[in-house]
Amino acid sequence: MIAIPFDSSQVMQGIASIAPEAILVCTAITVLMADLFLAEDGKWLLCWLSLAGVLAALGEVYLLGSSRIVGFSGMITSDGFGMFFSTVVLSACALVLLMATGWSERAGTQKGEFYSLILMSTTGMLIMAKGTDLMTIFLGLETLSIPIYVLVGFQRSRMTAIEGALKYFLLGAFGAAFMLYGMALIYAATGTTKIPVLVYMSVGGGMAGSSLFLAGMGLLLVGFAFKVSLFPFHMWTPDAYEGAPTLVTAFMSAAVKAAAFAALVRVAMLLFPGVSPAIGPVLWVLAVLTMTVGNISALGQNNVKRILAYSSIAHAGYIMVGLVAGDLLGSQAALFYLLVYAFMNIGAFGVLMLISQKEDDGYDIHNLRGIGFKYPVLGALLTLFLVSLAGIPPTGGFIGKFYLFSAAVKNGYIWLAILGVLNSAASIYYYLRIVVYMYFMTPEGEVVTPHTPPFGYALALCACAAVVLVLGMIPGAVLTMAEQSVLSLLM
Amino acid sequence: MADLVFVLLSILTVVSALIVAGNSSVIYSAVGLLFTFMGVAGLYVLASADFLAATQMLVYVGGILVLILFAVFLSNRISDAKLSNPTHMRVPSAIVCIALFGLMSNAAVTTEWAVKTNVEYAPTTAVLGRLLMTKYLLPFEVVSVLLLAALIGAALLSRPESAKAALKPDMEEGQ
Repeated sequence: MIAIPFDSSQVMQGIASIAPEAILVCTAITVLMADLFLAEDGKWLLCWLSLAGVLAALGEVYLLGSSRIVGFSGMITSDGFGMFFSTVVLSACALVLLMATGWSERAGTQKGEFYSLILMSTTGMLIMAKGTDLMTIFLGLETLSIPIYVLVGFQRSRMTAIEGALKYFLLGAFGAAFMLYGMALIYAATGTTKIPVLVYMSVGGGMAGSSLFLAGMGLLLVGFAFKVSLFPFHMWTPDAYEGAPTLVTAFMSAAVKAAAFAALVRVAMLLFPGVSPAIGPVLWVLAVLTMTVGNISALGQNNVKRILAYSSIAHAGYIMVGLVAGDLLGSQAALFYLLVYAFMNIGAFGVLMLISQKEDDGYDIHNLRGIGFKYPVLGALLTLFLVSLAGIPPTGGFIGKFYLFSAAVKNGYIWLAILGVLNSAASIYYYLRIVVYMYFMTPEGEVVTPHTPPFGYALALCACAAVVLVLGMIPGAVLTMAEQSVLSLLM
Repeated sequence: MADLVFVLLSILTVVSALIVAGNSSVIYSAVGLLFTFMGVAGLYVLASADFLAATQMLVYVGGILVLILFAVFLSNRISDAKLSNPTHMRVPSAIVCIALFGLMSNAAVTTEWAVKTNVEYAPTTAVLGRLLMTKYLLPFEVVSVLLLAALIGAALLSRPESAKAALKPDMEEGQ
């Protein structure tokens, strides 16, 4: 028996590279254990405990900073890129947990399992965003997905929840299988799963001509497309978003999308240049179709949750525009947009959750009638988030779209930018339709009485609104941060 | 000799996979799946991946397949239900599938595969164990988190819903 050599400095470096993830997993297990010992009226503590864990992980991310730490023989890298997406994912998670404080009891999500599943899913997201090996990316994807499948079906007494969870689970499993198949083909063609080595082989090693490598890349892209809900792999999105408890919907739309795009941006920036003649047009078509199908399907919807689900498909299309552009500016814009999108979408879902009295029917657009003038703060907040989603200044959504489309123009994709702007204009219709219902439609009977938000909930909404407004007016610092993180990726 | 074994195993795998996909009875599909799994296990042996072959038999044949059969036996009338997807959109999906098949076959035929001559039939378990504890330590640990999450999720979804855990009244009552 040969002893395995033990290198303590490497072990420490490895632990440092996954410190935020380790904190999250420890918190998840603590929450699960604490759930056993807490009395029913003490369960509110679990939410705060989870929130503390997420904030500690966020603190650890900033302690590690953007310096490059390669851990576990190149499986995972903590760098500026990972830091940016860790920030997005952890802030989204923190906002959702903050909303859950005092709200979970109402939505029936005050169990320990709910929080520990959210924390484990967040762990998977961080691993996916930081993974520099296809194997790590795939395992991160699975670790983020499986808890989400369960969370979507959390309220088992609702038919829509079961339907959404089952559809999401089956299609998600297909997506994961496609991705794994793609990774296996890439491994067969190159003999490695390490992204830095793959970059070297695809750019210098003439892999662009290998049909096996191309097929692998294509299937990998299909897997990602399932997760970020690009057309034609978006079918699960409206049902899963509608069926999930709205807290989870907000979490899914912001954090899952950010994490999946993190890995996609890493692969796209590093590996797609080697195969760009083949994959460039595919990305172009995917971006255009995703935007268009998402927006057109949203036009006819009456359930606000479904409107936002289709809008999230359209937004995946806008973000793809940045990837089609394929340069520093495009990726920078995509990163910035993902950050803004997380805040504006969580904000929008947050306000809607207060207004609707119950799941399913509660999210009918008619329930919004008369809310605007009777409850001016809620009305103003929802209007702000919707205006930002539509991409109208002075909000962060406008800056994000502006940079995305200008990146497309700068790289010569004039038609893509034009189609994007047209789509954006079409989307204004359904966002403003919600606003019109709030302000200009007379209610049939009583105006719905929204719930009074608990303290943490109000704080989370204010934070979302502040970020959306601040990023709309002074985006400089975050844009620089996005640029730095893309640069750290290319290094 | 090895070539002949390979061809026979491949035929077993592919033909039984076709039975799985094409048969309308769940029981026949399950039995077809059994032979697919065994064929794949045989291919693993042929590639001198002994541990993988044993795992394939234990996990897929012994675990998953038996689970499927139990699910079939325990659920009423599922055995005579015609489950094999009577889908709409047969033609478009056939076109996509045939195109994909052509693409993959093309890739398989045109690629110059790295061929390993003189396959050495030696136990691989020790090497795998060593790699899992060194080079692939992180994936190994992440898988444990993944399994824990799956376990929690399964327990959560299959537990009978208690009165306390049910939705609070103000979410259920209509306005």
